Amino acid sequence: MAIACDRVLDLAPGFVLGALDAADMAAVREHLGTCTEPHPELREMGGVLAYIGDSLDPVEPPRHLRDAVMAAAQADLRARSAEKVAPAAVAPAPISLARVRALRTHRATVWLTRAAAAVVIVGLGGYALAVQGDLARAHQAQDHANTVLHYMQVPGARSAVLTPELGRQGAGDAVLLPSGHVYVLLHGLEPTKGDEVYMVWSSADGGTIARDGWFTVDDQGEGSLEMDNVPPSDSLWLMVCREPNSNVEKPTGPAIVTGTIWVYSVPAPTPTD
Amino acid sequence: MRQVAAGEIGGLESLYDRYHAMAYALALRITTETGLAEDVVQDSFLGLWRNAGRYAEDKGSVKGWLLAIVRHRAIDSMRRRRNGVTIGDETEEPLPAALTLPDIWPEVAGRLDAQRIRLALAKLPVVQRDAIELAYFDGLTQREIATRTGAPLGTVKSRMRLGLLSLRRELIDVADGSDGTGPTSRAAGASTLPRTGPEGEG
Repeated sequence: MAIACDRVLDLAPGFVLGALDAADMAAVREHLGTCTEPHPELREMGGVLAYIGDSLDPVEPPRHLRDAVMAAAQADLRARSAEKVAPAAVAPAPISLARVRALRTHRATVWLTRAAAAVVIVGLGGYALAVQGDLARAHQAQDHANTVLHYMQVPGARSAVLTPELGRQGAGDAVLLPSGHVYVLLHGLEPTKGDEVYMVWSSADGGTIARDGWFTVDDQGEGSLEMDNVPPSDSLWLMVCREPNSNVEKPTGPAIVTGTIWVYSVPAPTPTD
Repeated sequence: MRQVAAGEIGGLESLYDRYHAMAYALALRITTETGLAEDVVQDSFLGLWRNAGRYAEDKGSVKGWLLAIVRHRAIDSMRRRRNGVTIGDETEEPLPAALTLPDIWPEVAGRLDAQRIRLALAKLPVVQRDAIELAYFDGLTQREIATRTGAPLGTVKSRMRLGLLSLRRELIDVADGSDGTGPTSRAAGASTLPRTGPEGEG
């Protein structure tokens, strides 16, 4: 529907506030896409909108939100890197939430571990693989990075950045879904040798340390672990240790990376208006 | 912002540290739920991160753009929730268009804080302020506002127009101190807007 400049002037207040019916919003957008007039009324009225938001007193969000935002951005960055590696090979659409949920549904109902060296390649590792022409593995890098990203976008998902202990190499992300599913993705790890494994240990709310599973790492330095049925808690502390073998029942090796997923949220304040 | 556009996490950390409390306050005001507000803020910063290359410095401040994204996402999430759809079930929503970016008024913006802005809002006729707030915070369309308030649609449109223009004038006056409060005065304890006031137009 083509509209004239006078009509845009009439619709301007509702347009800047996003309060027009969909058809009118579309008509204004269509007009502005082709009109050469400056339409200063839109800037005059739209200019006050940011100040309406500024009328609110700042509210400090839970501290885990910062970790979640940065972890999501890092996962996005890795997904972009993987795309650059092999754009033709990794161009397919990102994993849909429906797929993520389907994966979650079909996973074992016990704590599930997965050896990562054979299946997980992300980030910088993807670059080296692409140089070798291993586009399939680069594709997996994209797939896993997208999985992390989409897990983080599941409503109620909580995440943490896993950071290296002093003098250690490695980093990663962990995402906890409301269903109790945890996805841990690590990179920059030193390769394991012989029977060595990376073991994931966790402690809910500062309680007993539990053994969650293990994985090995090849030259690409990547590893991942998935766990199901993690009991609800306000916080989940994760520690990844390098252990001499997969039979250890308590942490014996050096802690490589650690991080805490904070689940607890402050109660909503009483609405002020 | 250039750092963010270049994919530097440090740039995003700086923006988050500077604006997270304001973004969260707006998301919480619109959604009234902490969990949903957190999702909205995370989604908004991620949207900013992914689209930083589209940011045009001459069209408005980073804060203004971020708050526009937060508001857009929060209202959208509430609408989807009303329709039985949750965040993440939808395809990527477009970010607010450039024309919804704020006019920065650099000479004015630096002298405005939350209390002064509340003071300017409080000076609006209550029906004008309600029309603006129902659209801004509750995401109602003009037609929905007309239904809710019982006012004719044309009246709602008129109230919005007059309210926005009046608010612009009030903000300038408040920032200049020409409203009689002086440039350093504060509306003490004005945590909420008064619900009474002149009717203004009709």
